[in-house]
Amino acid sequence: MGLSDLMSMAKPNIEARNKILTRIGGKELVNCFQCIKCTSGCTALKLLELKPHEIIKLVNLGFVDELPSSDIIWTCVTCLKCVQRCPQKASPYQVIIALRNLAVEKEAKVPEGYLKAFSQILETGQVDTYQKIVTRKMETVDRECLKLPKICSPREKFQVVFMKAMEEKTG
Amino acid sequence: MHEETFRRAVAEAGLNSYLTEIVNLREQVSWAHTHEPEKATEKAKALVRMGVARSRILEPLEKRRVSVEKSVLVVGGGIAGIQASLDLANAGFPVYLVEKAPSIGGRMAQLDKTFPTLDCSACILTPKMVDVIKHPKITLLTNAEVTDVKGFVGNYEVTVLKKPRYVDDKKCVGCEACAQVCPVKVPDRFNENLTQKRAISIYSTHAVPNIAIINPDHCLRLKYDKGVCGKCQEACEAKAIDFEEQPETIQVKVGGVVLAVGSEVFDALEMAELGYGRFKNVISNIEFERISDASGPTGGKILSPKNGKTPKTIAFIQCVGCRDKRFHEYCCRIGCMVTLKQAILAREKINEKVKIYICYIDMRAFGKGYDEFYRRARDMDIDFIAGLPSEIHESPDGSLYFDVYDKGTDKLLQIHTDLVILGTGPVPNKDLADLSAILHASRGADGFLLEAHPKLRPLESAAAGVFLAGACQGPKDIPDTVAQASGAAAKALDLLSRGEIELEPLKAMVDEDLCSGCKICASICPFLAIEMKTDITEGKEGAKAEVIEAVCQGCGLCSSACPTGAIKIQQYGNKQVMIQVDAALAESWAKGGK
Repeated sequence: MGLSDLMSMAKPNIEARNKILTRIGGKELVNCFQCIKCTSGCTALKLLELKPHEIIKLVNLGFVDELPSSDIIWTCVTCLKCVQRCPQKASPYQVIIALRNLAVEKEAKVPEGYLKAFSQILETGQVDTYQKIVTRKMETVDRECLKLPKICSPREKFQVVFMKAMEEKTG
Repeated sequence: MHEETFRRAVAEAGLNSYLTEIVNLREQVSWAHTHEPEKATEKAKALVRMGVARSRILEPLEKRRVSVEKSVLVVGGGIAGIQASLDLANAGFPVYLVEKAPSIGGRMAQLDKTFPTLDCSACILTPKMVDVIKHPKITLLTNAEVTDVKGFVGNYEVTVLKKPRYVDDKKCVGCEACAQVCPVKVPDRFNENLTQKRAISIYSTHAVPNIAIINPDHCLRLKYDKGVCGKCQEACEAKAIDFEEQPETIQVKVGGVVLAVGSEVFDALEMAELGYGRFKNVISNIEFERISDASGPTGGKILSPKNGKTPKTIAFIQCVGCRDKRFHEYCCRIGCMVTLKQAILAREKINEKVKIYICYIDMRAFGKGYDEFYRRARDMDIDFIAGLPSEIHESPDGSLYFDVYDKGTDKLLQIHTDLVILGTGPVPNKDLADLSAILHASRGADGFLLEAHPKLRPLESAAAGVFLAGACQGPKDIPDTVAQASGAAAKALDLLSRGEIELEPLKAMVDEDLCSGCKICASICPFLAIEMKTDITEGKEGAKAEVIEAVCQGCGLCSSACPTGAIKIQQYGNKQVMIQVDAALAESWAKGGK
């Protein structure tokens, strides 16, 4: 009964689909009428295997089993262009974030960069480390020789709050 | 609707038809509680009990009869207003046609060709415009607005404000000698501000009436000082220019009103990502109509607004501002056909080589001959791309480019183009808020005027005697607009031809002994049906409310607001309500409930 994908013989997984929809906390997704604006404007499109509009359609139809383990969901740079311009307020961004959290929950492989960024924030409180730069006169300078104040390390309390927030988000 | 049927049945049985009481089990029980059949049955029983209790104390009422003023007000002089006015006037009834702009014609006058036949818009419209001004039964009031409507169905008293033209319409011959000497340039509204005209000029090339008008916001004489300029006055041989002209208030009595105020076009500035307003070669489809029109700024040649050259590539983008939760959720109904027409015009007017792309979501060609028109466009080697771009960029050489993902080929395409035309759709007119307040004609969630029933009464507003025609009721193309206008005219004729009409007898009644003269009822009555009259009781002067029976619609607002309970609606007084409450609670009392 119902739908099946003849290319992979996959069947829709309605339970997993509903889980994703619950996590998003809204059903706007089903309003998508495939105007393709999200894909046309996607910053990371050239790196993507699946296109943003396809992700939405796959979720709507229930073909979600492959999604959390694919690396597509990690390629999104969260520029939020699709959120801004989606005419039906059904942009793929929410799904991608939900899928990321589901992937962590399922202990699927998370790209190294994300883990690195995670431990970076935990240790330094910064998304990125500050780096030495080369000036036009080819001198290498750092914050110290520019007499900029030192960047403090985060307090222990921050790490507790941060970990707690992460656990809440990913279940 | 069904109430009438049952009232007739009661009358046929020899009773007064207002002794009918209806218990609406369909909408209030079975539709509302589909999933709880047992509880629904209990509710149904309670409602029947209440109905029976109420019917015992109903009083017989007689319908009121009022005469009907045999003339009609038509608001808006676009194709809808023109069609409705001509139909009504040809049937022999006087028509007052009020148009806000200096000329009638509306949106249709701005169009080049019309789909799906590609006949010239002006060629089919201008004869009708001339018919209007020549018709002995039509009083045409241009540059005028309806400011107030009093009264009720069959007897409306309308106040029209005729703004000054500063040109005597009886003397002006339309030679435009004045415009040749006027030193002040102003944006040309008829040409969508693509060109400029003079502060004194005729509205458009086919204007009806063909009379000059001075723009008081820009004319030096009117803006600054009596001593300055006045060149037009010297140039006018007919001595038609009168700087002293004052606004004129005109009162007319009419039986019915046809609203045909049309719509505006979505302002693409709101959708910043498409670059409208920032890039000169991104234009709206109404601007393309003016560029393509032989009487427009380029004399009918399709040229890019930025450099005046013929474009080698043209791209159309659909659904701008419509089908978009950020702006308007409805489908504009005409955008697809407008774009197909403009693509065909571009192909015919420029040459075989110009590349034409249409980026769309769904191509909607629903009307008679419309899908054939779509095929005609496809025959002309126009590229259809199933997908919308997210944003438009300008390259340093002034040309435009955008990325668009095509569903058909699964490819991300980049289109470099000289001209981008945005498929903007109709949006509700800004004046609709005022007009609906004056006439009690309600509006829908989309902002357009609301019909009395979406399927069975599409030509009438819920306010009796107010009829709807054209794009003020919802986005429409010309064939639908004309059909609705003729329909609205027929509905108005139905009202006028009867000579007198029956009004519902359910109305407010004042118990003078209880009325304290507080005026609350008079201040909240939406139909202005309550007047305060002076009353002298025991030597003291006071005021008492009085209901103008013919105007009262029996809405009940006054009754619920009255602090002393002096004003009540017939059949819906405290007596009738309390007996229903008793009946509703009878069962729970019987069970010993509280």
